[in-house]
Amino acid sequence: MGCSKKVAYNSRQVKLMTGLLLLLPGLIVLFPVQAWALQTHGAPEGIIVHQMAHVFYFGALVYLFWDLRRTMSQGRGWKFLQIFCLLMMLWNILAFVGHQTHLIMDAADFSHEFGYLSSMMLGPFSATKLINYFARLDHLILVPALIFLFLSLRSIYRSTAEGEDS
Amino acid sequence: MTTLPLFPAIFTDMAGSVLVIVLTVLSLRYAYLLTRREPDNFLWGFLFYFCVTLTVFAISRAMGHLVKQVLLIGGHGDVWHGLAPFSGGLNTLLMISLSAVIVFYHKGVEGYQAIRAKALSLKDANAQLNEAADQLRKMNLHLEERVEARTAELSDSEKKFRHFFTNSMDMVYFCNAENRLVNMNRSGLEMLGYPVDDPPPLGLVDLFLHEEELDHYFDSMLKDGFIRDQEVEFVKADGSVLYVHVSANGVFDESGKFTGCEGIAKDLTRVKLMMGQLAGSEKMASVGQMAAGVAHEINTPLGVILGYAQLMMDDFDSDTEERQNLEVIERQTKACRKIVADLLKFSRQSESAREQLSLNEVIGDVMAVTEHTLNMNHITVHRDLEPDLPLVIGDAEKLRQVLVNFINNAHHAMEESGGGDLYLETRTLPASNEVAVMVRDTGHGIPEKIRAQIFDPFFTTKSVGKGTGLGLSVSYGIIQEHGGRIEVVSPAMKDLIDEQSPGTAFHVYLPIHAEENSDVIKD
Ligand SMILES: Nc1ncnc2c1ncn2[C@@H]1O[C@H](COP(=O)(O)OP(=O)(O)OP(=O)(O)O)[C@@H](O)[C@H]1O
Ligand SMILES: [Mg+2]
Repeated sequence: MGCSKKVAYNSRQVKLMTGLLLLLPGLIVLFPVQAWALQTHGAPEGIIVHQMAHVFYFGALVYLFWDLRRTMSQGRGWKFLQIFCLLMMLWNILAFVGHQTHLIMDAADFSHEFGYLSSMMLGPFSATKLINYFARLDHLILVPALIFLFLSLRSIYRSTAEGEDS
Repeated sequence: MTTLPLFPAIFTDMAGSVLVIVLTVLSLRYAYLLTRREPDNFLWGFLFYFCVTLTVFAISRAMGHLVKQVLLIGGHGDVWHGLAPFSGGLNTLLMISLSAVIVFYHKGVEGYQAIRAKALSLKDANAQLNEAADQLRKMNLHLEERVEARTAELSDSEKKFRHFFTNSMDMVYFCNAENRLVNMNRSGLEMLGYPVDDPPPLGLVDLFLHEEELDHYFDSMLKDGFIRDQEVEFVKADGSVLYVHVSANGVFDESGKFTGCEGIAKDLTRVKLMMGQLAGSEKMASVGQMAAGVAHEINTPLGVILGYAQLMMDDFDSDTEERQNLEVIERQTKACRKIVADLLKFSRQSESAREQLSLNEVIGDVMAVTEHTLNMNHITVHRDLEPDLPLVIGDAEKLRQVLVNFINNAHHAMEESGGGDLYLETRTLPASNEVAVMVRDTGHGIPEKIRAQIFDPFFTTKSVGKGTGLGLSVSYGIIQEHGGRIEVVSPAMKDLIDEQSPGTAFHVYLPIHAEENSDVIKD
């Protein structure tokens, strides 16, 4: 009985889906202009996707960090990899904040009158501006993070070599 | 301060970008080396793909930043504005990819590790199995060795028993439940006169001569499970009789069912013969003693009877009936005295002389008296006498009597056929230090069934008056007195068996006189 019920439900669902799929080309033919208009990617979309990617990346790093702590307890290399994760998470936050603050600021906050290299951030300094300035120095975190990645892989590689020797 | 210079940020950006490229490439190198070292390790695979994606992302981003800075420094802000969305888009894309790699690949690692753990435990189980198999193999090997040792022991004992079986002087046999012989050793077959290499199928029924003995055998086998020293007569292949002592054990299975028997039979023919001879000589000894007593008592009245008979004869003329009757009395009384004298001789009551004498001479003396009579009866005498026959110690008179007895018997045996041959032989037997005399005739021989009796006193096959049956028993006594023995062979010539005249041979063995013997050697 349960079985036949399930089958009935499934077939109904399938019918609905095929119906929708058949309907879609019809709608496009009927309303071509509106259909195209729906697919536009306006200016903020790029930065939004980028920020979402940062979140996604951050999430992935949290997961990796948690999993490494859980499973890879021993070995210096895995400890370094955990530090890499933490630093990378920090970098993500910084980058995310940097992008966010950048959105708020406008060209009036900067002066390029003495050339690009002599560019200045103009006062008065709000927290947003200071944070933005600091976010521009993200490599100060990214490089150490990558140093730890490098150390991690090197030490893992060496430890497997040792394991092989013994 | 109202302004902050952006130069440090620009510098950090450029230098950092270069460092990022260098560091990610170096990391990627190690990840790559890891996968090269252990291509099957999924974890290294994850690290490698993670580094690849990270490197691509880092390079794309760093290059983007460098290009941006260079363009902006060079004053080509418009060019950068054209490129920026592409660079940014690519970076976004790569960042998402990197995140995906982290999540999905790392999930894969988990799966891989689970599988690996399973594989490890499987490997463990496998190793344990191998170890167990190894132990089993070792045990098996040990078992084989033990079996080998046991087999060797068994074959050893089998050899021992087979040796005993084949080389036993006694008959050893095995029967099945139907009492058919399944195995009999060589001695047994030889005893029975069957071919050793290819004996015919035999059963116990074929061996036993008397049915009641076989019944007794079966009865005690089923009742007691064994037979101890049963005296049995077996039939030989040629139909003759074999006296044996049988001891046998029944073989029973777990349920107590009779499955056969194994037995040993000892040949008793010789023992039986010796026993018979022993009994005979014992009998003769007792008869002798009795005869001696009787003879002594009878001798005196016989003398009286003879004396009175002769006395009375003088009273009658020779042609009267009384006189003739008295002559019969005299003759028969004399015959009685002769018998009594013989009896006394047999019982060694009479004294015997002891002198050195040659048996050739004794034979010569006897022949001088008897040869004429023998020739008259168409009996040819053949002499084969050893010239330098060693001397023996004895009574010449008595030995002559022995020879006369033999010759008389031979004469009687050949009378029926109206003649024949008489052979006289003397030999030295250095091995037993004896002198042998043989008297052989070609007469009717002695039937097997009376052969054991001929030495008994008063045993005769001759008609009354012709023989008293004392001749051989007296001879026996005399030879015994001389420390010798008599053997009789009939038919005399085994290979020349003649239905009409099988013949008889009497052999007398007398010890050689020791001194004379040494004298002979000196000569
Ligand atoms: N050479 C022989 N051939 C055949 N039978 C013999 C011979 N010698 C002995 N016998 C058998 O043995 C029996 C016993 O012999 P034995 O000399 O003791 O008695 P006898 O000859 O019968 O009488 P006698 O006392 O007169 O000798 C004989 O009756 C005869 O049957
Ligand atoms: Mg005789």
